[in-house]
Amino acid sequence: MKQTPEMDAIQRQMRPGVITRDGFLGSDARKLADILEFDNAEVNRLGLTHEGIAARMRELRDAGRKGIGLATRVDPHFEVRVDSVRGKLPCPFGHAGLVQKMNTTVRNLAGGREITYTDLNIHMIGGHGFYEGRGSAFRLEPSELKEILEIPESPPPPSPGMPPGLR
Amino acid sequence: MLTAFLISVGVMCAITTVLAVLMILADATIANYGDVRITINDSKQITVEGGRHLLATLKDEQIFIPSACGGRGSCGLCKLKILEGAGDPLPTELPWLAPDEQRRKVRLSCQVKVKNPLRIEIPEELFNVKQYEAEVTAIRDLTYDIKEVRLKLLSPAAISFRAGQFVQFEVPPYELSNEPVYRAYSISSDPGKEDEIEMEIRYVPNGICTTYVHRHLKTGDKAVVNGPYGDFYLRDTNRGIVFVAGGSGMAPIKSILHQMLNEGNRRTARYFFGARAVKDLFLLDEMKDFQSKLPDFQFIPALSEPGPGDDWSGEQGLITDVVDRCLETVDNTEAYLCGSPLMIDACIEVLKNKGMPGELIYYDKFA
Amino acid sequence: MTEIGWFAIFFSAVFTNNILLTNYLGMCSFLGASKNVKTALGLGSAVIFVMTFTSVLNWLVYHHVLVRLDLVYLRFIVFIIVIAAFVQIVEMIIERVSEALYAALGIFLPLITVNCAILGVSLFMIIREYTLAASFAYGLGSGVGWAVAILAMAGIREKTARSRIPRGLEGAGITLIIAGIMALAFMGFNGMINLN
Repeated sequence: MKQTPEMDAIQRQMRPGVITRDGFLGSDARKLADILEFDNAEVNRLGLTHEGIAARMRELRDAGRKGIGLATRVDPHFEVRVDSVRGKLPCPFGHAGLVQKMNTTVRNLAGGREITYTDLNIHMIGGHGFYEGRGSAFRLEPSELKEILEIPESPPPPSPGMPPGLR
Repeated sequence: MLTAFLISVGVMCAITTVLAVLMILADATIANYGDVRITINDSKQITVEGGRHLLATLKDEQIFIPSACGGRGSCGLCKLKILEGAGDPLPTELPWLAPDEQRRKVRLSCQVKVKNPLRIEIPEELFNVKQYEAEVTAIRDLTYDIKEVRLKLLSPAAISFRAGQFVQFEVPPYELSNEPVYRAYSISSDPGKEDEIEMEIRYVPNGICTTYVHRHLKTGDKAVVNGPYGDFYLRDTNRGIVFVAGGSGMAPIKSILHQMLNEGNRRTARYFFGARAVKDLFLLDEMKDFQSKLPDFQFIPALSEPGPGDDWSGEQGLITDVVDRCLETVDNTEAYLCGSPLMIDACIEVLKNKGMPGELIYYDKFA
Repeated sequence: MTEIGWFAIFFSAVFTNNILLTNYLGMCSFLGASKNVKTALGLGSAVIFVMTFTSVLNWLVYHHVLVRLDLVYLRFIVFIIVIAAFVQIVEMIIERVSEALYAALGIFLPLITVNCAILGVSLFMIIREYTLAASFAYGLGSGVGWAVAILAMAGIREKTARSRIPRGLEGAGITLIIAGIMALAFMGFNGMINLN
């Protein structure tokens, strides 16, 4: 599907070597607009919202920060390890503001599964609905996020419907 | 028939040629900005060739404005006050400029094109910043993920910096990255040795610079750095000193320790070095050496997660807990912190809880 | 065709025979660059400039080169080449004078080249056998008319930015409907000037 020149510019920012070594697209050959639409539909299908997912990621990160790199026990059954390094990264979507380089690893002790995400991931998911391209090492599948982080489903947003006079 | 064909082709060529000449003329006059005068701080005046962005133009004049993204408008570090001559802020600049910055005529120098005479303001300390061409003389492993890189400066051949400052290291295009990128690293070497600098660079997965340094850089390679930058340095007082730095955060501390040795500094100093396991410890011999040569310096390493085979009898626990436990007093003491943002935030909290005033806690912030 | 005063031609080109709202030429930039008044003003000014001078240039090339050498069939190619070169020069001027406007216009500046209204004006003046002075008036008038239309559209779109528009019609849909309503309004000018 064709996308706007602005999206093309953002997709160029996501290529390897521009912001990070491997970029944000992995081996995904689709256009950014398609990737966003596909993941958006997937998130809707799971009964979640981008903001809701990002909020949960943030919540677990903040609970684990005090460990400064040590695994911290977070109720009810999580182990969270938060690491950070110096320096900041820009968001490929081209707006101002830099994101700290912080990695959060959450291990769900009940299921035994583990997932790792960065602060930039949290921002790109909550602000832009972007989960990285397929094949990227930092790609986050919405279904995995839902399962491992145990994100509760949110009620769907009310649809606009007909204006009162036209009903 | 043939004549008709030739006439039509001839006329087309003539028309296109005339138009092409017209465009060349236009390019040479309208798009040619000629020489432009830039007035700096209302005192210094330079004349430059117009048409390029201010950041690149100043770089050619040996004035180095900090930049991490190399002029692509994605780091916001190259802000300068442009009082006259720059027109309105571009759409690419506006997201980076707060309303009060816009009022004070702050602009992103990598987006502003030099066309009309400019009046700009440059902070004094940036005039000491130079670009150095250097050669890699040594790369050695400090740990499994930290390398120490030593550069011999070629041109200019000497650098004068304060212990604690950092340089911007230029990563040339390599593999998949095709534009240069800049990353900041603290200088870990002795400020007294002006012809070389050392940096401690830790490998970060998916990092553009650290991958270059750890997988591609070899001794003998040429490197470009610019600096020195930063206001993290030892303040000239008589207070006791607390250093807290882990991993590659040791770099500026080591440089400061060299400086203390050089000037015979007698201040009390404690260095709390936080690491995870024994394999994360390094330069222990150098630290022992400082301990023996400085009148009142102690190096206190602490492990937060010793490995199964680690035989460790030193301090254990999170570095913040160790500082809390072992630091006897914060009276008349200043703190110098360097390391990951999480560690720095946690340390500031601990020190403030012990009664240290915030103004006496110095930490290294690159951007 | 009877001789029509150049003022009448100018006036009709702006209102009664508006190149955009009556002849429906030049729609793509109209739809794409009419989101805010500032950009619309910039683009409108550029189009006025290009339309006026290319119609004069094309008139000169047509009558003194093509007709004289019996190469009238080349007019389409030649007109486009002249327009393209001229737009390049206008781009350089805008970049020089206002970098902010150049960045705001973006892709729409070179798109002026393929704006069918520009070629349309040149072809209309040939069909209607205008004199040089009349062509100048017609080019200027069409440019002003196009600019008036895009400014009006930008004003309307800025005002309706917060309105509740039915989901399927957002963007191009509602803009085309507004354009249609504007064209209907301009039809009210019909009959004021008879251009034959």
